Amino acid sequence: MSGRDEELITIIAEEALMDRAKLDPAAKLEDIGLDSVDLVSVIFAIEEKYGIEIAEDAFERSDTLGAVLGKINALIDAKAA
Amino acid sequence: MAERIVVTGLGAVSALGLTADETWASARDGQTGIALHDFDTGPNGSGVKTYPAAMVKGDAGAALEAVLGRRIAGSLDPFALYALKAAHEALGQAGLLGAPLGPRAATVMGNGIGGLQTLEKGYERLFGQKAQKVHPLTIPRVMVSAPVSAVAMEFGIKGPVFATSSACASAAHAIAQGAALIAGGLADIAVVGGSEAMASPGGMRSWEGLQAMSESTCRPFSEGRDGMVIGEGGAALVLEREGHAELRGATPLAWYVGAGMTSDAFHLTQPSLDGAVSAMRQACEAGGFLAGEELLISAHGTGTPLNDKNEAAAMRELFGWAAPRHPVIATKSAHGHIIGASAAVQTVIGLQALNAGLAPPILGYLGADEDCAGIDLVLGEARPIRAKSLLVNAFAFGGLNCCLAFRTA
Repeated sequence: MSGRDEELITIIAEEALMDRAKLDPAAKLEDIGLDSVDLVSVIFAIEEKYGIEIAEDAFERSDTLGAVLGKINALIDAKAA
Repeated sequence: MAERIVVTGLGAVSALGLTADETWASARDGQTGIALHDFDTGPNGSGVKTYPAAMVKGDAGAALEAVLGRRIAGSLDPFALYALKAAHEALGQAGLLGAPLGPRAATVMGNGIGGLQTLEKGYERLFGQKAQKVHPLTIPRVMVSAPVSAVAMEFGIKGPVFATSSACASAAHAIAQGAALIAGGLADIAVVGGSEAMASPGGMRSWEGLQAMSESTCRPFSEGRDGMVIGEGGAALVLEREGHAELRGATPLAWYVGAGMTSDAFHLTQPSLDGAVSAMRQACEAGGFLAGEELLISAHGTGTPLNDKNEAAAMRELFGWAAPRHPVIATKSAHGHIIGASAAVQTVIGLQALNAGLAPPILGYLGADEDCAGIDLVLGEARPIRAKSLLVNAFAFGGLNCCLAFRTA
């Protein structure tokens, strides 16, 4: 896992009030227990940190955490490019 | 005869401590929670300003998470956090933690203004930082019912749940409403009280604008008093139908015996004698307190020139020649004015005072003011009392008065 992925997981754990150890990249958001309210807080914090815009419907609850990290990384990279 | 309502648990968070016991011990020992505190409006504001304030010390969020065994503090504005912490403590003392409380339980808690700190942060982003978005959970954190929703969810309370708001009398109205739900048959248990966390940069500037704040400290009923000191915190009581408490084998701490509620319909910030006297009279009649027996009075006692003059006059008018018999305490001199939570914090301290047989001293007192003569102020240090009854006064801006009556025997 990259340093940025570690950073993102830390933000998710903080915003969703979750134990970091539960945030397995292979797990689906719904299985981790991330609900829609958690997700809006997470998106808000990540937008703040990286200065990006994440569409409200960017993620499905059936997405894996790894897939979500990939999408966020792509947005951050696109901004940097 | 209607079944009595018993108090089976107390909880508090204040500048005097993170629990009811700590809050009581500090009040009893004459320790103040008031100190100078810096309020910073941030890089886009006008800078730092220092005011006397009674801020919660220590980490109430960490203390709550330690007892709940999970993370929660980050999801709540401080005013909801204080309510939840106090409710947890009160339910623990009542022996009601564990199983969900269900449909026969209620919670009613008061606050004056909602989650001001969250709102202020959001608006600072919008107007100061020119950000496009505020935190997505701004509304559910700010709403005045956030504390009762948090309490209901945490303890599985599925009966009547709502907040009361009547400025500085909010918690008094909440306690009376919780008792009314039990008396009216809608609940067997009611977690009642109030919380407030408006000691924020904007909140303090707003109070300053009203010219109601002291420049030094809160000096209830004293000569030279110059205003109130803002505090923060929360307190909760568990009220219970007596038969329900007996069946569980719960230990009664006190009995709620009535309330008085009036509105001055007069002025937004000035008190009226009639409104205060009438509310006190209703509560005292409900409690049978007018027979001359020693009564502990937890005064509204804000330390403003007008309130204390009016409140002392109200006591003289109501009790007449017997007024000097009743020890008067004014604990805002220690925990500050916690606005919508004040009446709950004062009730928690007052009931412990009755059970300890000790009245905590009024702090900051400089000397007698003839406007406040003819009442028995508890000064210096804690004083032994015989009183088994408590009157708690709450007289709010807008002329909203609510007084509560309790007995311990």
